[in-house]
Amino acid sequence: MDAPLLAIENLRTYFYSRAKRAFIRSVDGVSLEVARGETLGIVGESGSGKSVTALSAAGLVTAGPGVISGRIDLYSNGARRNLLDGLENYARIRERDGRVMEVEKDERGWRKRSETLMAGVRGKEIAMIFQNPRSALNPYSTIGKQLMETIRLHTKLKGESEAKERAIHWLERVRIDSPRLRFDNFPFGMSGGMCQRAMIAMALSAEPSLLIADEPTTGLDVTIQSRIVDLLAQLKAETGITTLLISHDISVIQRLSDRIAVMYGGTVVETGRAAEVLAPEAKVRHPYTTALLASIPSAETIRRKSYLQAIEGEVLDTIEVPRGCRFYGRCNRVTEAIRENCAGSEPPLGEVATGHKVRCWLYPATGKA
Amino acid sequence: MRRYVQTPGSIGEFSELALRQRAEPLDLVYVGYGLLVVAVVVASYMLGAFGWLPDDPQAMNVGLINAAPFTSGHVLGTDFLGRDLQARLILGIQAYFLPGLLAITISVVGGSILGILAGYRGGWFDTIITYFDNLLDSFPRLVLILLVIAAFKADIYYVMVVVGITGMPVIANLIAGKIAFLRQKSFVEAAHALGLPAHTVILKHILWLNCRALLVIQATLGMAEAILVETSLSYLGFGVQEPTPSWGNMVQAGANYFLQGNFWPSTAPALAILATILGFQLLGDGLNNLLEGKRRR
Repeated sequence: MDAPLLAIENLRTYFYSRAKRAFIRSVDGVSLEVARGETLGIVGESGSGKSVTALSAAGLVTAGPGVISGRIDLYSNGARRNLLDGLENYARIRERDGRVMEVEKDERGWRKRSETLMAGVRGKEIAMIFQNPRSALNPYSTIGKQLMETIRLHTKLKGESEAKERAIHWLERVRIDSPRLRFDNFPFGMSGGMCQRAMIAMALSAEPSLLIADEPTTGLDVTIQSRIVDLLAQLKAETGITTLLISHDISVIQRLSDRIAVMYGGTVVETGRAAEVLAPEAKVRHPYTTALLASIPSAETIRRKSYLQAIEGEVLDTIEVPRGCRFYGRCNRVTEAIRENCAGSEPPLGEVATGHKVRCWLYPATGKA
Repeated sequence: MRRYVQTPGSIGEFSELALRQRAEPLDLVYVGYGLLVVAVVVASYMLGAFGWLPDDPQAMNVGLINAAPFTSGHVLGTDFLGRDLQARLILGIQAYFLPGLLAITISVVGGSILGILAGYRGGWFDTIITYFDNLLDSFPRLVLILLVIAAFKADIYYVMVVVGITGMPVIANLIAGKIAFLRQKSFVEAAHALGLPAHTVILKHILWLNCRALLVIQATLGMAEAILVETSLSYLGFGVQEPTPSWGNMVQAGANYFLQGNFWPSTAPALAILATILGFQLLGDGLNNLLEGKRRR
């Protein structure tokens, strides 16, 4: 693998449920690497922790216990910096049998430290786009003004007119027609797809090294979705920007990603090259990935008139995480030979082929790891 | 017969005006009248501040007491000491103009800060503001003001500080509500993600761009409130004292002669109070309808 741009190591981001007096283990030991220039797609159901992983990387998780341990290394300008550096001093964690029992956090100090760490990173090095683009723009300001604001904040273009020129240039690059007219539009005068294009322009105008796209097509019409996906692919080809793409829509992931990480219940259950993980004939595959693939409609399923398969059971409750494999309760490939393992202890993420890792007791490589 | 006409314009382009609700003519009348009142008040304040008055407001003329309008050059007549009513009405604006501005400044600034804290931090800030609001609601404002006057002194600025503070919870609640609404829209988070500093997001994107209309409206209504308080207190004798004119003490002074048939010296300032407060109230209401209530999203 090429030099990484972002390396997340053993990240744990917890929230707290007052009602149940228990931690919600949204992200529970995630390790990921995004290489320079590649697109890593994170796929998983709602609640699998994919968005929280991204938000943690952007330093945007401030509520609750939040990020409680791990490393997030950003390699930029030849230097490595840990975006969680020193934050552990602001949270005292008591653990018993590997389970977090109590977190005491100096919220104010934590937030201050985090802001210091993220200064010059958020927006400049790591930019982010969200779902529901219309609500991600300030309704009372024109898109031109909002775009100019990020340009003046993050680039050397401080003057009014040069920032405006650059803003129009970016509106053109995201294929907004008649950008000079659109410049003075308010978000409510534009379609959702148009707003998302404007958001992408805002994110890219700072020329960040990493773009986090958190469900960029969710909440858009289906036809618009595919146009936004096309746009992202084109911009990717033009700028070569490293992207962390998050989506529950596996077809979006398939079209844009070089590598894929499948998340379930706050952990990565499978990771590898997109072609390998999603190859129809793949022999080695996590049962959850198999189930995810079976649940998307394709020309194949329609032609064969076969039914789409919903994944049995419910999404894992990340409050009461079982001792064994997190997918055990819904897995249909448990064999008697491994049942004890599945129920008893969490499988490690084992390498089944070069760069292809699966967290499942089915594969012997896992056992060896 | 009815005509249907297609507005010329490029097809397929959204017209921004079409997306906003058409302005109600009545609201425009309200706002128009309100702006007129504001203009007259500001202009009169300037006249009073620079001393460009039509007549000496303190010059007594015992030979011309309670004169009717248009007698010997007094456009609005004279009061019980023969002083020119028009000049005194203009000078009376001094009594509430700056104190009123102080009051609305306090309530807008304080209310915004509390509102942001409640909206952003939530939790016990929110609770405190709710209790503060309930406390003030359950306590007559005039009694509170009289209490302050009794404890300190009968200074209009002290009173206006109280008016400002008691006006804070309303604004705080409105802003906290607005922030709660805005937080459902992800642009606050998006702005943070784009690296905008927190103070830019709060002051520019939330307060300035999203709450400015609300603040102008509340300031306008607050000014009406301040004028009402000032004139009431002066009427009761707790505010501005003779011989300094205030619309309130003018009404009071004139009232002694009202039943003797000289209704004008008290009616003129009373009408001025009515017209001015109505103006500020209607301006606030009209702006509220035009800017806040009916804007589509």
